[in-house]
Amino acid sequence: MTGVVPRARPWGRGEAGAEVSARRASLATLFIFLAPALLLYAAFTVYPVLRTFWNSIHTIGPHNVQELVGAANFTQLLTSDRVFWKAVGNTAIFTIIATIADVLGGLLLALCLFSGAPLAKLLRVVWFTPVLMSYVVVGIIWVWIYDYDWGLANFILRSVGLGALEQSWLGDPRTALWSVMATHVWKWLGFNMIVFLAALYALPEEVLGAAELDNCGWIAKLVYVIIPMLRPTIVNLLVLSFVGKMMIFDLVWIMTGGGPLWSTETVSTYVYKRAFDWNTFDLGYPSAIAVLWFIIILVFVFAMTQLLRQRDRLEF
Amino acid sequence: MIGPGYQWLAHLRRSPLLLFVLLYTALSGGPFLWVAVMSLRTTPEIFASPYALPSHLHWEKFADAWTRSNYSTYFWNSTIVVVTAVVLLTVIGAMVAHCLARYHFRGNRVARFVILSGLILPPQLLILSLFQILLEFSLYNTLTGLILVYVAGHLAMTVYILEGFFAQIPQDLFDAARLDGYSDLEIFWRITLPIGAPALFTTVTLNFIILWNEFLYAVVLLTEDDKRTLPLGIMHFMGSHQLDIGMLATGLMIAIAPIILLYGFFSETMIKGMTAGAVR
Repeated sequence: MTGVVPRARPWGRGEAGAEVSARRASLATLFIFLAPALLLYAAFTVYPVLRTFWNSIHTIGPHNVQELVGAANFTQLLTSDRVFWKAVGNTAIFTIIATIADVLGGLLLALCLFSGAPLAKLLRVVWFTPVLMSYVVVGIIWVWIYDYDWGLANFILRSVGLGALEQSWLGDPRTALWSVMATHVWKWLGFNMIVFLAALYALPEEVLGAAELDNCGWIAKLVYVIIPMLRPTIVNLLVLSFVGKMMIFDLVWIMTGGGPLWSTETVSTYVYKRAFDWNTFDLGYPSAIAVLWFIIILVFVFAMTQLLRQRDRLEF
Repeated sequence: MIGPGYQWLAHLRRSPLLLFVLLYTALSGGPFLWVAVMSLRTTPEIFASPYALPSHLHWEKFADAWTRSNYSTYFWNSTIVVVTAVVLLTVIGAMVAHCLARYHFRGNRVARFVILSGLILPPQLLILSLFQILLEFSLYNTLTGLILVYVAGHLAMTVYILEGFFAQIPQDLFDAARLDGYSDLEIFWRITLPIGAPALFTTVTLNFIILWNEFLYAVVLLTEDDKRTLPLGIMHFMGSHQLDIGMLATGLMIAIAPIILLYGFFSETMIKGMTAGAVR
């Protein structure tokens, strides 16, 4: 069919030729379109990545004095660096709990609005506000909320008669990580809510209607109808949230700087400290941490998508 | 089939939902209101009673915060960096997206793979060597350096969103344009860009918000006070006015207010932009 050029259309051949040429471009044209991006990309992304890998097997002193150390950075990291393992533990707790809280909480909020809470349009906008604020703004506000003497958290506890529960939220190693986590979840819940809401409104109405006809209770409807249909969205958000939390830096740095007593130290804050705050003057060791952590994130993301998608295929 | 006698029951069943919605609204909006109120009160007033409403509106604190710290510099730096970076990102990103979506050429897949691989590269993997590289290029502590890093860092997401949209523009339009004798650049300029405007608008919004708030690259790559962007400036202001809560609240409000104002007018655009990578 495609090979036939209708005789009744004298410009047919020209059209076929145009089809080809509109999909083709001279080398010069391609160069103009791609060169700026590829150049920038080579200089400020590809080169730095390769250089970080290179750095990770060297000791990099001031004035770029390099010394090849092979896998020594990695062995030290894995065998004798207790702060690193503390940071890994904190980051793991943070990632797991906050990811689950983000996705579940976002779904809950979306369902509230979807099930017809009044003023849903306005609430959706209000609930999203924290997403737009910088970590600096959010961090400082929450440092105040957690303040022992006049912070909102203790104020509320005192005013409802639970004064015994008041804490120095960010000053106590037992509560600091959880407090930062709560702030992080608070900032991102609105994001997950919007994504879920979009997915909910995209669900085919016949299916929801059919569930209604079958006199299906709302919990059953949620568990057997809505959640399975939202699966791609859930997987998507889990992965996004996971990656974001594995690299958490800004909020921790602003609220606690990793303290007290390394109780909120994360892998990223530790990388920063080893590179710029400790007087070790070595960029090689923190690069090794960054490389190792990147590989771990990649493996987890790959495993998550494989695992969760596999079951998708089995279902349909 | 609920009779009127049972209506109160329906209300009762919904009341936990209403209570929850009310509580969460207070939780998500309350902190900003609290800062807004504090920004109009003086520190002694706040310490006397942290949650009282202002007895006298101290608007002069805004002028004070603006002039006493380097706020105007921070604001100006942020504006230069973000506007330049967003313009560059939009133009360069659209060129790449157009090229990848429109042309069949050898190396198309390689170019796509290389550029989209940026989606999975965490900043932590780049930041240490970018610090070295910018020092070597004499771009450390310059706004230019930060702009280039921002453009390279956000190119992948921009191309990803734009290419998805550009690829859906019907090929017929381009064939017709070619027949009419448009050059490749004219096709890009007069067809792809106008038709792709909604997608461009989305990436502009997304990049603008993210870069305006960016902290990690800025904190590593800028150290001089007169180079600081707004987030760094606020951090610095916080460090130097540790106990002057009233002044700090005013400083925070200067950062919050423009965003809230924009959000009031363009809430749907900003929500759509911010979630563009995740909503399919």
